[in-house]
Amino acid sequence: MNSRNKYGYLFISPFFIVFSIFGIYPILLSLYMSFTDYKGIGSPFNANWVGLQQYARLIKDTYFLQAFINTWKIWGVNIVLQLALALILAVIFSDVRLKLKGVSLYRAIFYLPNLMTVSSVALLFLFILDWQHGALNGLLLKAGFISRPINWLGQPQTAQLSVSLIQTWLWFGHTFIIIFAGIEGISKDYFEAAMIDGANRTQTFFKVTLPLLKPIMIYVVITSLIGGLQLFEIPFLMSQNGLGGPEGSLVTMVLYLFNQAFKYRNFGYAAAVAYGLFFIILIFSIVVFKGMFKEEA
Amino acid sequence: MKIKKYLGILLSTVLVTTSLVGCGPKKTGEGEKKLEVDKTKVLRVWSFTDELKEPLKYFEEKYGIKTELTIVPTADYASKLQPVLDSGVNAPDVFTAEIAWVKQWVDMPYWENLSDAPYNANEWEKDYVPYVWNIGKDNNGKVKALSWQATPGGFIYKRWIAREVWGNDDPAFVAQKLSNMDNFMKAAEELKQKGYKIVPDEGAIRWFAKGSEPKPWVNEKNELQLTQAQIDFMDYQKQLRDKEYSAMAPEWSPAWFASMGGPIPFNAGWDKVEEAKSSKKVEVFGYVMPTWGLHYVIKPNAKETAGDWGLTSGPSPYFWGGTWVGVYSGSKNKGAAWEFVKMMTHDQEFLNWWYKKTGDLLSYKPVTDKVKDTAKDDFLKGQNHYEFFLKEAEKITPEIVTKYDQGIDQIWGSLVSEYVDGKKTKDQVINEFYKQVKNAYPEIKTPLDK
Repeated sequence: MNSRNKYGYLFISPFFIVFSIFGIYPILLSLYMSFTDYKGIGSPFNANWVGLQQYARLIKDTYFLQAFINTWKIWGVNIVLQLALALILAVIFSDVRLKLKGVSLYRAIFYLPNLMTVSSVALLFLFILDWQHGALNGLLLKAGFISRPINWLGQPQTAQLSVSLIQTWLWFGHTFIIIFAGIEGISKDYFEAAMIDGANRTQTFFKVTLPLLKPIMIYVVITSLIGGLQLFEIPFLMSQNGLGGPEGSLVTMVLYLFNQAFKYRNFGYAAAVAYGLFFIILIFSIVVFKGMFKEEA
Repeated sequence: MKIKKYLGILLSTVLVTTSLVGCGPKKTGEGEKKLEVDKTKVLRVWSFTDELKEPLKYFEEKYGIKTELTIVPTADYASKLQPVLDSGVNAPDVFTAEIAWVKQWVDMPYWENLSDAPYNANEWEKDYVPYVWNIGKDNNGKVKALSWQATPGGFIYKRWIAREVWGNDDPAFVAQKLSNMDNFMKAAEELKQKGYKIVPDEGAIRWFAKGSEPKPWVNEKNELQLTQAQIDFMDYQKQLRDKEYSAMAPEWSPAWFASMGGPIPFNAGWDKVEEAKSSKKVEVFGYVMPTWGLHYVIKPNAKETAGDWGLTSGPSPYFWGGTWVGVYSGSKNKGAAWEFVKMMTHDQEFLNWWYKKTGDLLSYKPVTDKVKDTAKDDFLKGQNHYEFFLKEAEKITPEIVTKYDQGIDQIWGSLVSEYVDGKKTKDQVINEFYKQVKNAYPEIKTPLDK
């Protein structure tokens, strides 16, 4: 090993030092905490060691199961809408036959919601969705779609749907940009060949665009899954006292974790929930990953 | 290749999922035994209202010590203060707590133990309203926080309605009418016949539930105690709803405030009063409110009827709210901090001045004893509110407050309203209550454990 190599290590060391302190250490400390009954008082190392008790509780915890189901419901509706919307827009804007102008302007507009802080978004939608004075009910009433105002955030189903739609609005621009870039990356030859062969738009989309977009779609779904299963801010900010809305319908897994840790100060259990969450996300990421690549093999 | 992909997923998920946990408090240093007042240091105080502004000005003038007050809104107070107290970085020397957190915090190492030297506050016990004193004590009976005020409640009513319905507006007479829940319901019916609603909303009577059977939510064996009174009050609340004894104006809603000034539309909900659809107008008879409710909520909203209100007791004594203050255990300025806490809670000269300025119900008996005989409130037709509230305060069972109250009250309150709304049966509510309490506080034993 020559001396240049040693300098190399020196130069990359800041990252590893910072990563160890702010990444590895908290991760290992949480793991340790999940084996204790730490209540947030004093040092976690003085708390009682309870072995796998917290994990045993986690497996039997019906509230966590409910949070798991809530999270999937909210994310499921969100990802379908988000992908569909982004895909349709990306296909329209990249269509060689339409040749739409001002793509970059639209791209910027679609992406804008993603630049807003989540708390402003939550506040904005609290006003829009307010069931007595909100703009949404006002519009629907005037247009004659509904005869009575809908209490969007007051009922479990509509509250979950509202959060799904907000998430979609926040993220479709981001997905659009990625898918658009993916379509742009497909060689124009394929589209021209399809056109010459007489394929119509639907055929082109299903036989050319979609198959070639697959790697991009997998990336979008997995990143969205990892983010979506950790959904927290919008449900937290849009439910009273952060308790999770009507009949607990907005209690997501991370909101549950947060309440266990910072409301009820069951840090040991919250750490176990965090690791449970991690394994859930890991397993589903692998499942999605494998499932989507299966046909190739 | 595959391993690398999985490793990527693994690492990114680990990173994001675990970033939420991992913060824990540091131990604070042992306090030195000797107290010195350093006049060159700024005394840093944290609170959740601007209530301490004037006292701090008084303190600055009296002691020549500069102070700095940080006000954090109630909703964020605990979540902002706790990390600061845990780490000790930029922490206050003195901080307050409202009733919602005080019992949790006395059992944490946040406040200095004031029972022992050099503070020796335990010698003052007999001078304070018992329940107020008790709340400031930790599990081991050591005083951690003190309060200058007591916040007992009563039933504050419109005298002209009492005259119209019963021909008598005397507080003693009305107290008789409301002396237990059966009488309360009878009175509600009589009021309804004349077009009045006894309370603005069903939740108003929740305070009487605890007072009717004064037991803490959790006993010394760590067992959850759901009293028969709490279960009975579920039905009382439902009766108020079903028989239309309440105006259905939820606490803190615009209609609720408006109801103090005059008739409001029935069942206004959270609507703005002028936009409420209901054409049926109703008037509310009275409010279940404590000391501060009289001065800061009812008085400003009932200016036109000032002088024709009354104050009396309901089916049971209760208290609502209150602010406690103590010295931060990690403070480097404990001398001045203690001087301020002492002035706030034990300085006759200051407390007299404070009473004259605000009319606040004090918890320090040497001062209250002097003013209670001569006090009167013109809003209440010259009634002596001070003596009334002091008597109510003495009736409160001191041991009923636990550190779990805020959490359990919240769980119970939301389940009871599901019962009142008809969404859940009584058994479902009780069963769900046990489950939710157990989930939030695994250390509490519930009947489901057996």
